[in-house]
Formats: sequence, structure tokens, C-alpha cells
Amino acid sequence: MSTPASTGEVVYDVRNVTLRFGGVVSLNDVNLQMFRGEILAVIGPNGAGKTSLFNSLTGVYTPQEGTIMLAARAGDVPVSAIGKKTHVINHLGVARTFQNIRLFPALTALENVKVGVETRMKSGPIASMLGLPRQRREERESTERAFELLRSVGLAARANELASSLAYGEQRRLEIARALGTDPGVILLDEPAAGTNPAEKRELAALIQQINAERGVSVLLIEHDMKLVMSVAHRLVVLNFGQKIAEGSPEQIQKDPAVVAAYLGTTTEEASELVGTASVTKIDTDLDLTEGDV
Amino acid sequence: MSTYTDVTKGGGQSRRSDAAEARIALAKRFAGCMFLAFVLALMIGTQEGTQDDFGYAFRKSVFAPRIGIFALIGVAVFLAVTFWPRIVPYLSRAGVRPLAAGALTVVVSFTLLNWTDSTDLNNGKFGGLRPAAAQTGGIDPVARLFFGSAFSLTPWLLLLIVVALVAAAIRFEDSSTLGYVGGGLAIVFGIWAQYAQSAVRSFLDYPDHSTGAGVALLGFVTIGVSGIVVARSHGKADSGGFFQRVYDWRPGMPLVALGAVVGLVGLFSAAWFSPTDRNAGIGLTSTMFHGTGLSGFSAAYLAWLAYVLFFATLILAGAASYLRHHLLGWVAAGLGVVSLLVTLYVMHDFSGLAAQSKFDGATGAWDNLGTGGWMLCGALTVLAGAGYLVARHEQVEVPDAAPGVSSDAALAAGSKLGPALLVVIIASALFFPPTATQFWQTVLVTEIGIYVLLAIGLNVVVGWAGLLDLGFIAFYAIGSYTTAYLTGRLPVKPPSFLELTPLAAIPFAIVICLVAGVLLGAPTLRLRGDYLAIVTLGFGEIIRVVANNSTPVTNGSRGAFNIPPPEIHIGPLDIKWGDNVLGYWYLLLVFVVIVVLLFNRLEHSRLGRAWAAIREDEVAAQATGINTVRVKLLAFAIGASTSGVAGVYFASQIGSFTPENFILNNSILVVAYVVFGGMGSLPGAMAGAAVLTWLPEFLRDQVPAEDRQMWIGAVILLMMIFRPAGLIPARRRRAELGGLDKKDSSETTAVPAGEGM
Ligand SMILES: Nc1ncnc2c1ncn2[C@@H]1O[C@H](COP(=O)(O)OP(=O)(O)O)[C@@H](O)[C@H]1O
Ligand SMILES: [Mg+2]
Repeated sequence: MSTPASTGEVVYDVRNVTLRFGGVVSLNDVNLQMFRGEILAVIGPNGAGKTSLFNSLTGVYTPQEGTIMLAARAGDVPVSAIGKKTHVINHLGVARTFQNIRLFPALTALENVKVGVETRMKSGPIASMLGLPRQRREERESTERAFELLRSVGLAARANELASSLAYGEQRRLEIARALGTDPGVILLDEPAAGTNPAEKRELAALIQQINAERGVSVLLIEHDMKLVMSVAHRLVVLNFGQKIAEGSPEQIQKDPAVVAAYLGTTTEEASELVGTASVTKIDTDLDLTEGDV
Repeated sequence: MSTYTDVTKGGGQSRRSDAAEARIALAKRFAGCMFLAFVLALMIGTQEGTQDDFGYAFRKSVFAPRIGIFALIGVAVFLAVTFWPRIVPYLSRAGVRPLAAGALTVVVSFTLLNWTDSTDLNNGKFGGLRPAAAQTGGIDPVARLFFGSAFSLTPWLLLLIVVALVAAAIRFEDSSTLGYVGGGLAIVFGIWAQYAQSAVRSFLDYPDHSTGAGVALLGFVTIGVSGIVVARSHGKADSGGFFQRVYDWRPGMPLVALGAVVGLVGLFSAAWFSPTDRNAGIGLTSTMFHGTGLSGFSAAYLAWLAYVLFFATLILAGAASYLRHHLLGWVAAGLGVVSLLVTLYVMHDFSGLAAQSKFDGATGAWDNLGTGGWMLCGALTVLAGAGYLVARHEQVEVPDAAPGVSSDAALAAGSKLGPALLVVIIASALFFPPTATQFWQTVLVTEIGIYVLLAIGLNVVVGWAGLLDLGFIAFYAIGSYTTAYLTGRLPVKPPSFLELTPLAAIPFAIVICLVAGVLLGAPTLRLRGDYLAIVTLGFGEIIRVVANNSTPVTNGSRGAFNIPPPEIHIGPLDIKWGDNVLGYWYLLLVFVVIVVLLFNRLEHSRLGRAWAAIREDEVAAQATGINTVRVKLLAFAIGASTSGVAGVYFASQIGSFTPENFILNNSILVVAYVVFGGMGSLPGAMAGAAVLTWLPEFLRDQVPAEDRQMWIGAVILLMMIFRPAGLIPARRRRAELGGLDKKDSSETTAVPAGEGM
């Protein structure tokens, strides 16, 4: 399953990033490389700094130290992501979803996706007011493209419903469709399976792999559900208290004493004994403990 | 009571305390209702008082037998609220809503509205006119019978009879006879009311703009329709709206019915010419112009062609609507438009001829016309609209949620009534103002129209982009001062090549306001909510204070005056607006229509969605790639330029203004209009501005001057309690009040099989 489709090109090159909020150190000297074409999962207990990492990667937060170089699409020259506005980073090819769903509730599902699609379009207010041919063409294109995206996340039948009236799992998928609407090179998914049922989780896993394989989008995934993570991720990075404590393939991570310690709240020594005795399934369930927070 | 005992569950102890709580709640509600009645008694009571006796008004309105009536109202409200759950099932029965609406309309006509402009028979209101007319010998006896020469309560009794009949038909569900009888009687009574009023009018021989009888007719006809609906529905529950049902049954039919009523009244009852002196109907007009050199065509029109055109259009539109025949629809629409143009031509022709001979002191064509011609014009517009709707109907219809359908079409699918309503609005906007009194024409031009334009502009900023702007009037000021400058009416003169007529100042005002909008927007964009409101408020005040104090530039507190009226000289087109108020109305209408058309497109465009996005969730909008700074600046700029256009219009219409015209109060009013109408809804903002500018002027005749603000306050209060999303809520806003957790409808539906997961 976990065969890295990576090309070796670096998408995100994070070096020595430290992010502080007053006394709280959300990210502590984090180093991280994400390669083009891979599905990289970031795991860690609550408050480990996963969302802070996403926010630093997308320009929402500005780390005090370190560098973040970004080359989202193939052939891009790496540029610094630090100090750039969120929408600029989006235009550089980075799209994301949010841990607490952030849709535009009063717009329909289709319109939500169109908002994303249309940020890549050109026609201005005057063209819109006059209904110029080019604007009409763009409008048509954006509707078609949005529909195509809704279909690919299984929401075509819901296109004209308000985002607020969709079920929880549907809202999560709509967020992914909206993010894909901006035609990204990298997509950052923040706990996309939180609050969904097992069937939806399986569908989501398939969707993530499809986005990665068919659209060629590199995926950075935060997720607590270990079964999901282990099944889709090519590589994992583990954060704890703002520090990267481990990195490697799913198999490596499952056996890593530091990781187990972080999750069970024990010392590394105790944990390494545990790893020796416990079955992988046991750890799976234990790792799941933290699931379900929003 | 029963609704409260239902709630109690559990053992004896808690049961008793629950029941006690329920009793306390009921007592509270009763106290509240009685307090409401008490306040109402004060509001409707006299407001007089003297320096030494402050309690005068209070005692007059509360310590008097009349308090009993208000107490009864309080009890009625209490009962209505308490038994509301039981009433609701009845409300959804066929015919109930039109019955209630019709009865209410008639009551309004009998109490609030004028039945004649003359004060010869008391005050012109129904209450005063009725006994006087009933006793005046010179009035047609059939009319006097309506006013109650036999029994003083006759008209109210008529209303009661038909309401009772239709209500009985609703109660005893299988009785269609009762429905038909009640409905038929109601229509007869409506025509009778109209007839009675026209008899009074011809007796008084006085120009007349009263709406009372017309509204009574409308109310009675609505009751009649409800009776027929009841009879035809055979007790089946009516879940949807009544008009919606008729509309679904035969689109265009409601319009045809409306056109028929208005056209018939216009042709057979209303005055066409010399409303002040002769009150001449179309027949008399035809006779009067016989042998005066009126062109043969116009003479023929007055003699017979008018009838032929109207009935031909009516029959065609009716047939097209009934048969839902596209081609017939087009024919009806075409004939309607042709007839309309012919009617306008003829009205211009004969009124111009009369003005040449200074008949009745007319100064030009269109002077001295009665309401009849305009009513016919309105009716023809409505009929043509009906034909057009029928012709376009199938093409407009789209299956919900079919792939490839634009989301906006789906949004619009909820309001199939929209187009029909639009036709009525267009017809009234075009042809109602000429029939209004000078007073109302002035109100329309100086208040309603301008504030509608301002509300449209502010709606972009507040409603769509969600930025609370309390300094909006500043851009209106900038537009006005730009006009004054460019027409050379400020102490600083423009370079001679730039001296312009007011209309030519519009592009400059737009550009200057765009820039001003950006200048205000740029430094304030980091602020949100209350902070933004305060800063924009400050900006508004700065503009006003600067205008007030830079006397060498702006002429200070004396303001600008002698600003010329607008004029157009393009090729053969040569129009100069003068003293005729109506001319300004049509100019304003052109502005409003253009702005509405453009903004309507904008709302459903890329930018419109981007505005909605930043309003809903700015972080998500940024993460989706929206440049929030640019989008917000565009909102400020576009809103500001609309306000600037309004300013140009205002300056050249009013001719002179001072900084006092741009006080903070006006900014707040515009915000109130937009909120009242429905934030983010274009029709809502317009309706809000129209209603809230109309209401104070309407109340001028209805309540003592000192009470006016109180009544307006009460209306706004009730509105905010019962319809917090506004008069015409925005589709995109309505959801917000529901919130994200309103998803019971979707939970059950699974993901459709076979879709690309
Ligand atoms: N905007 C902020 N202000 C202050 N503290 C923050 C902010 N964002 C995150 N933090 C802190 O950073 C730490 C990491 O949080 P977060 O990145 O949300 O963790 P995770 O997503 O891994 O659960 C937490 O201690 C949190 O309180
Ligand atoms: Mg998080």
C-alpha cells in the first residue's frame, strides 16, 4: 500500500521553524521536508502543534524563527512562504481544509466550490455588471468545473443545497472540493475524518488516494484515526509539544518507542518495553484514544 | 391551557410545580398583553398637555371608557397568542389567507384611506364621508344605499356577511355553494363600493386621487377569490401559498385578472381629462374634442379604438394564459405594447391640443390628464407582461439540481412569483406616479427615490460584503459637491473646459467617489465590526465638518445654490428638466433601473460570491485564494459611487444644499432602511427604503404630528421581533439565522450510489 509515489522534488522545505505565542511554544525548531507526489501524514496528541504547523505553512501564522520554502507545483522555483499573505500562498498552489469546518454556510455547495474555482479567473466587476462574453464564458466554465469537483467528492446531487444544510461528513468533503477548486499542487487536510462514521472514513481514504494519484496533488494530512493514516500515508511525521519526535514509514512509526510514549503519556523506556510486547492492533486502538476532539 | 398541562410529566410533586410554573407563565403573558394594550391606548390617545398639567394626556387616554376597548384588544392578543397552536392548522386551509388578507384590506380602506380628496363631505375618510354621503340627496340612491341610508352600519355589515359566508364555507368543508355565494357577493360588493365612490366623486365634481374605493374593491375581490378557491378546493388542505397555486395552475392568470380590473376601472370609471373642472371620462372627453381639430386617429381612439385595443389585448392575454400558448403569448405581449404606445400618443395628442388653447390653464401636453389614461396604460403593461410570461414560461422552468444548472437558477426557482411581481412593479413605477398628488410626487422624487438609490449602494457594503459603514452619506455629499463644483456653483470654479451640466458630472462623481471609497477603505480594512463602524462614522463627520468649515472652497454652512437642473442635448434628443416633478421621477427611475440591472448581475457574479465568502468566513476566504483587501475595497468603491450618483441627482434636483443635508442621522437612516428591508437583498434594501420613507409621510395624515416617530418606532420594533431578517430577506442571509446545525433535512439521505468515490 504505502509505496511512496514521491519524485524526490521538495514541495515544502521547513527548516528550524519555531512559533511562539507569548510563553507557549507551538512549534519548536521543527525540520520537515515534504516531497512532490507523496501523502505525508502529521500526527501527534492534541496541542502538539499540528494545526499551528498548517497555519505557518499557509501564511496564517508567521513563525519567529526558521525558513519555509515552497514549490507547490512541478517546475516551480522555491519561494519563501514566510511573510506571504494566505491568499498569495493559495495562488502559489497550496489549498487547505480546516479542523473546524469553515465553509461559507449561506452559499450553496456549488457556490462554495465556485468561490474556489473563480479565484483563478480574471473577469472583474465591470465585466460582470455588463455581462461581457468573457465573463459569461468564465461563469460557465466555473460552474462546469465546480460540478465536476462535486461529482468527484460525491456531492453532485447536493449541488444546490446550502452548505449549512449538508451533513457533517458531506461538509468535510465539500471543503475538500472547494480546496481542489483552486487547482492546487499541495493540499493540506486538517483532520478530514473527524466526526465521520466508519463508512465515510473508508470513502475518505479512497478520496485522498484518488486526489493524490489521479490529480497528482501532494497531500499533507493531519489525522487522529490511525487506521486511516496507516492505510493512506506514504510517510509520517510525529509532533509532540511542538517538536518533531519521529519521522518515517507507517511501519517504523508504529514501532517507534518515542511515539508510543507520546501517545500513552509514559516515558520512552516504559514504552519501548510496551512495543516489545503489545501487538500492533493494540497500539492502533491506543493511538485512537485522542480522536474526536474538535 | 391544555398546551401547558401537556408538558408536565413525572411524579406528583414536580407535576404541581410544573403546573404552577405554567400558570405563572400564563399570568406573565397576560400581564404583558395588558401592558401592550395600555401602551397602545397611550399611543393612540391624545398627546395634548400643558405646562401646569403634564398628566393631562395620560388621564385623557387611560382614565376614560375607551380604555375598555384597548383592554379588549389586549385580551384578544393574549387569546390569539395562547391558542396560536390551535389556530395554525386552520391557517393552512384553502382560502384562509386570502380571506384574511382581503378582509384586512377592506378594513384598512374603511378606516385609514381617503375616499375623496374633497372636504365637502367631512374629512374625506370613510368614517366621515359615509354618514354625510348617505344623507346627501343629490347622490345616486344606489350609492347612498351602500353608504347606509337604511342602516348606519351597512358597509361594515356587507363585509361581515361575505367574511362570514366564506368562513362558513371553510368551516363546513364540503359546502362549495357557500363559497361561491360568498365569493360572488364579495365581488358584487366590491364593484358596488367602487360605484358608490364614483357617484360621490361625480356629485362633488372635484379632482380626486383617493385610493380608498380602489383598495376596497381590491379587498372585496380578494375575498371573492378566496370564496371561489374554497369552493373549488373541496376541503383539500392548501399547503402552498394561494397565489402560487394559481400561478402554477396558469402562469399569467393573476396578471390578467389584475390588468382586467385596472383597465376596466380606467376605461369606464376614471377621468381622462380635465380632472379639476370637468372630470371627463373617456366618453365625455371624446365628445369634448369633437370638432376641435383633433387628429382623426386620436378622435377614433377616444371614440372606439381604446375599447377595441384594451379588450383585444385582454382577451388575447387571457386566452394565452389559459391555454399556456407561447405564440398567443407573444401576440398578446406585442399587442399590449402597441396599444400602450398608441394610448400614450393619443394622451399626448389631445392634452397637447387642449394646452395650446390654455384649457383649464394647462401649460403643456400631459397636463390636465385624469387617472383613466394612466390606469389603462398600467393595465396594458400588466397584460403585455402576462403575455410575455406565458411566452417565456417553459423556457424559464428548470428542474431543480439538475447537473449543469447554474446555482443562481436554482436559487431563483423558489420565487416563481418573482417575474409576475416584477411586471406589476414596473407598471406601477411607470404609470402610478402621474396619478398621484403633487405632494406624493414630490415625496417620491425627493425622498423615496433617492433613499432607494442610497440603500442599493449601502447594501453592497453592508449587505453583501458585511462591512458596517456608518459614514455612507459622506459619498452622497461628495457627489453633491462634485456637481456643484462642476456646474460652477462653488467659490472655487472649475477650469472652463470642465464646466459641465449636472448629468455630465456623473462620471466624475463616480470616479471621485470610487477614489474616496478606496481612501476610506484602505486604512480601515484591518478593522472589523464595531471598530469599522466607528471609523466610518468618523469619516462621514469629517467630510461634513470640512464642508462646513472650508468656506473659501465649499461656501461653508451656506452651502451651494442655484445648481442648474439636469439637461440632455445629444443629437435630436433635447430634454431639459424644469419644474415638473414627474420628469425627475422618470430620470431617477432610469438611474435606479440601470443600477439594479448592473448590481443584480454583480450579486450573482464572481465578485458577489467573493463578498459573500468574506462576509461568512474571512479566514476561509483567504485560504481559498480570495484577496480580501481587494474585494473589500471594491465593495467600498462600488457602494460609494452609487451614493455619488445619488448625490449628483440630489444636487441638481433640489438646486441648493448645505452641509446640514449630510448629517450623521442620514447615514444611520440608510443603514436602518437596509436592515429593515433585509440585509444583502437587493429588493429588500429597496423595499426597506421605500417603506420607511413612505411611512412618515403617510402617517402625516393619520396620526398627530408629534406621534409620528413613535409609530415608526413601533413598526420597526414589531418588524425586528417578527421578521428579524427583514422585509424581503436575502436568500443567502436567511441561512445564517438558521445556523450550521440546521441539517435535519440531509442527515437521512445517503450519498447517491455510483458517484465517483
Ligand atoms: N492563535 C493562538 N494563540 C495562542 N496559542 C495558540 C494559538 N494557536 C495555537 N496555539 C497554541 O499552540 C499549541 C498547539 O496548538 P495546535 O497547533 O492547535 O495543536 P494541534 O492542532 O496539534 O492539536 C497549543 O498549546 C495552542 O494553545
Ligand atoms: Mg489541530
